[in-house]
Amino acid sequence: MNFRKVSCLVIILIGLSACSSKKEKEPENTLHIATLEKIKGLDPAMAGDLYSGDEVARAYEGLLQYHYLKRPYTLVPMLAEAMPAVSEDRKTLTFKIRKGVLFQDDPCFKETNGKGRELVAEDFIYTFKRVADSKTLSEGWWIFDSRVVGLNEWRDEGIKAGKADYAKAVEGLKAEDKYTLKIKLKEPSSQFLYYLAMTFAYVVPHEAVEMYKDDFRRNPVGTGPFVFDRKESNLNSKLIWNKNPTFRKDFYPSEGAPGDKELGLLVDAGKQLPLTDRLVVTVFVEPQPMWLNFMTGKLEISGIPKDNFDQALGADKKLHPEFEQKKIMLHKEPELDITHESFNMSDPLFAKNKFLRQALSMAMNSAQVVDLFYNGRAIAAQGPIPPGLAGYDPALKNPYREFNIEKAKELLKKAGYPNGEGLPVIEYNTLSSSTYRQITEFVEKSFGLIGVKIKVNTYTWPEFIAALKNKKGQMWGYAWVADYPDAENFLQLFYSKNVSPGPNDSNYSNPEYDKLYESSLKLTDGPQRTALYQKMVKILVDDAPWIWAVHRIKFTLSQPWTKNYKLNQLEHSMMKYLRVDTALKK
Amino acid sequence: MSAFIKGRNLWSDAWIRITKDRFALLCFITIVGYGLVAILAKFGMIAMPWDVTVGGSYQAPSLADHHLWLGTDLFGRSVLYKVIHGTRIAMSVGLMTSIIAIPIGMTLGALAGYFGGWIDDLVVWFYTTLTSIPNIMLLIAIAYVMGRGITSVYIAIGATSWVGLARVIRAEVMKHKERDYVLAASSLGASHSSRIFKHIMPNVFHQVILNFTMQFQTAIRSEVILSYLGLGVQGQPSWGVMIDDAKLELSRQVWWQLTGATLAMFILILALNIFGDTLRDALDPKVKT
Repeated sequence: MNFRKVSCLVIILIGLSACSSKKEKEPENTLHIATLEKIKGLDPAMAGDLYSGDEVARAYEGLLQYHYLKRPYTLVPMLAEAMPAVSEDRKTLTFKIRKGVLFQDDPCFKETNGKGRELVAEDFIYTFKRVADSKTLSEGWWIFDSRVVGLNEWRDEGIKAGKADYAKAVEGLKAEDKYTLKIKLKEPSSQFLYYLAMTFAYVVPHEAVEMYKDDFRRNPVGTGPFVFDRKESNLNSKLIWNKNPTFRKDFYPSEGAPGDKELGLLVDAGKQLPLTDRLVVTVFVEPQPMWLNFMTGKLEISGIPKDNFDQALGADKKLHPEFEQKKIMLHKEPELDITHESFNMSDPLFAKNKFLRQALSMAMNSAQVVDLFYNGRAIAAQGPIPPGLAGYDPALKNPYREFNIEKAKELLKKAGYPNGEGLPVIEYNTLSSSTYRQITEFVEKSFGLIGVKIKVNTYTWPEFIAALKNKKGQMWGYAWVADYPDAENFLQLFYSKNVSPGPNDSNYSNPEYDKLYESSLKLTDGPQRTALYQKMVKILVDDAPWIWAVHRIKFTLSQPWTKNYKLNQLEHSMMKYLRVDTALKK
Repeated sequence: MSAFIKGRNLWSDAWIRITKDRFALLCFITIVGYGLVAILAKFGMIAMPWDVTVGGSYQAPSLADHHLWLGTDLFGRSVLYKVIHGTRIAMSVGLMTSIIAIPIGMTLGALAGYFGGWIDDLVVWFYTTLTSIPNIMLLIAIAYVMGRGITSVYIAIGATSWVGLARVIRAEVMKHKERDYVLAASSLGASHSSRIFKHIMPNVFHQVILNFTMQFQTAIRSEVILSYLGLGVQGQPSWGVMIDDAKLELSRQVWWQLTGATLAMFILILALNIFGDTLRDALDPKVKT
């Protein structure tokens, strides 16, 4: 009996010591940042939302990336050695892959006893096929759909056979040797290189997919600058990323945009990346705790919640003196984005009733939205294209985005529902945090002005996305943030072939629009294409598949010891450039 | 012989004892006052309409206009009106959940206590299983399954809060079923149902009243918690939703929504608690002085 007691004690002690050894000290050069939603998963093929995209880019890399500092946004090589050689007909792209790039060490590499193997051109072919494989259910299939020669046929064969055959060659994807990747396109595309810089096209090793199967989304294995701490992390609350010891030779850029040098953004030029030893990403579903953590110095970077805006900035949109004294830095830039209320056009109620959509659009007061929810930090949107992209027309005045209850009521009558009579209660999807509840209340109030009622379905972020992808619900609030600096990225949201689970969340379908969109793809940037874009916007304005809400202006704050921080809206992997000035932090 | 002694029954005796306690009486009047406000608000006789803009966003409280006594919220709506309509929701939740919970608790408790045996085992097993699930988890689960809204709040709270009453009734019925008057009734040929409902029930009914006052305030608190978590009332003012709003507002020094909602809740719950305590003492024959 005594022996049993002793052994119990020993077990307890071992347990305790295991606990304490786990709590090793955090490296000084640790960057703490926030994300605003729970992370769906860390599979590049599924990273359709901004939050997952940011996380995926810590572990994975693609062929191309955006220059961290230069503006306008410029593509530069990432895993490619240089920008691709493009054939005369603009249909063939030849990439040289960097030599000696290693995947992160992981038990899935059985042949090398867990040591990461070298990246080869075949890995990209596998990755692209995986996105095309219907079984993957990738949200990113649209970036390859009908573009790469033979890939659609390969996908269809897989669907027919019930299982995709990865051994079967695809004509448009060819590895000429270990380090040369040749991509053949059906038509020249001005956007394809941008697509390759998106997280969907980030390269994954087949060993990891095969070993982890459904759990691959929790076990990232890439070539990226950070390694996921699988033991200590939780996708719903905190993600810990440690510096990847076998990261390739990748250096901080030595040139930037005008003014960057003066801001001290070039001090670390030429240094090996990543500059930080650890990255801790905390999920703050509510903005208040994030703000308090930033104010006590526990976060290096933070946005400004709407309810704290007055606390940080004056009416002149400059920081209050106490923030200046603390040397907190303010960064602002108009976002390449749009927030909106979507009508689900696959639902019979909205599908054929343009007047109903227009009526609801006119009942929403944008000016008030900008005021109440963005503290004036936004521009009321008239159409899909945000300022800063070719195709944005500052003179555009959307007749259905004027706040006018009388006209809205008239339109509602035309729609067949005078004063909302006979109109069923609209199912409205939203998120469960307090701010979204307030926004939903606003929508409810606005529609109430013309006698339209809504029923609210509240979801968490992953549930919300799932509902969207399954075309559940009749309306929802959503936002689109540019994936690449081309208005086409916003216009493709209304292309009928991109309906859910693709990015066309309103499931809008209009043959006339489709035709214009398809012809715009054949053009390169220039006045002709811009004119075409504007023509498409006009159709959308009239059809009102969305209630265009606002284009946001991004305001973030950083602590004085956060070095090299510059707002970059397109490059997900930007955290590798940041550094904590440990001396200053003390 | 007893007929000649001028006696008071349990109820009139309790009433005298309550009215003697001034503070308990005040609490009772407060509760009735809340009920009155709720009824008037329900029929649109006061504080209507609550959802119109009466001032700017987050206007501070002022005595100038009765709308502004408690200031305004994000959309410029009167916080006072929201508090009043929150009362309506809270009182209706208290009442409706009791209407759901009391019959369940009474019936199951009486059946288990009266019949004993496997019926007792079954009922006890059922409510032990139910209570072994943390209450808030159960509430959230039911709210998720039923969808959000006031009806599912009623049902979620009602379906989880009958256990206490069932336990008490079961014990009381066990005690009573062997008493002389019940045995007399049975020897006169009274059926089981008549024995339970006609003879035993009236003698344990004070327990139901007691439980009601306690149950009422638990239900109100549960509603506030559910609404705070975003699982409760939708599109209507609720104290829980107001407190949830306050989470964002406090940092910009907007204290009036929180104060209004918590004060209203605090006074009601305090009154219910004190009144419930007094009622228990009054109805308990053992503490008769």
